[in-house]
Amino acid sequence: MSYDSCLKLQNHLSESLKTTTIDKCGYLLIVEHDPVYTVGIRQKDYNPLLEENLIKLGAEFKRTNRGGLITFHGPGQLIAYPILNLKKFNPSIRWYVANLETTIKNLCNETYGLTATTTSDTGVWIDNHKICAIGVRCSRYVTTHGLALNCNTDLSWFKHIVPCGLHGKGVTSLSTIFEKNISVNDVLPYFLQHFCKSFSCDILNTEIDKIV
Amino acid sequence: MMIRIIKVTNCVWGNVNHAQRLSLNVLRFSTSAVKDRFYTDKHEWIDVKDNIGTIGISDYAQDALGDVVYAELPAIGTEVKIKDECGALESVKAASELYSPASGKVIEINSHLETKPALINQSCYENGWLFKLELSSLEEIPNLMNEEQYAEFIKQDHS
Repeated sequence: MSYDSCLKLQNHLSESLKTTTIDKCGYLLIVEHDPVYTVGIRQKDYNPLLEENLIKLGAEFKRTNRGGLITFHGPGQLIAYPILNLKKFNPSIRWYVANLETTIKNLCNETYGLTATTTSDTGVWIDNHKICAIGVRCSRYVTTHGLALNCNTDLSWFKHIVPCGLHGKGVTSLSTIFEKNISVNDVLPYFLQHFCKSFSCDILNTEIDKIV
Repeated sequence: MMIRIIKVTNCVWGNVNHAQRLSLNVLRFSTSAVKDRFYTDKHEWIDVKDNIGTIGISDYAQDALGDVVYAELPAIGTEVKIKDECGALESVKAASELYSPASGKVIEINSHLETKPALINQSCYENGWLFKLELSSLEEIPNLMNEEQYAEFIKQDHS
């Protein structure tokens, strides 16, 4: 799905949560993007030349309103955009981001037997390699954007950028670690299970046309 | 490519830790009560002298954000209306929107925040102020919460 149409959907759901009178907790969008580089609200280091060079590689380039620095999204990456009303959970953005990290850390460690860690650099790490990037926006307690977990992502896309602005650190994927193909569909049921656990919530599968 | 929408329901989140944190905040207010500072339900404060309002975020808000790494502030000269989105603060990979507590024209922004955004955490009521407005509708100010009402609001809103 293209980045723009997914962003439109996120904004639509976010607005509906802000204006609804019905007691709703939110939505969780699961998507895989076509290749796209995105940057957050700190954009001054990302000039038009860099943008042009990245587009030449065959990816899109998007300036967004999320937190965090440059990253890549593409096929083989499990993207989760939780559109949550934090007032129904805990109205602290710090709590929210830590909970996203916990979800992925538990997924890596309990389901895949890895030793994933979180550090002062937001995201989830396997040794010195980032496996999951996080970047979110919070508007009147409603969240948009989210996390990107590398399942069988083509990691060569990351060679052209300094992911999240961190020099001297690498990226990895579940497929790279286990030296076998692990797809988004393989990981998704476990992801949902851990998401529900860390956010103390239930989820219902919904068709897109029933929402929009 | 395919997209799946999953609706999140039935959140049952306990607020034990939160209530503990809250009581600390309330204590802090009682020791540093300031009379002419007013608050919004989005946790911004405004301090009014003559027709100039200085704006920042509350101690409760800076704590909920975590370490601020970047402040996106409105440009000088911008006309803002009360409750308008007028910037964002970035912390822990999250950009949280800022709303103007009053209407007016932006006449100054805190330039120290460009190199030292951590001032917002360290000194949210003084050195960590965000921007100043030349107020166009002074009558908006008494509708905001005073110190006591805000302390009560935090208690009720998040209990």
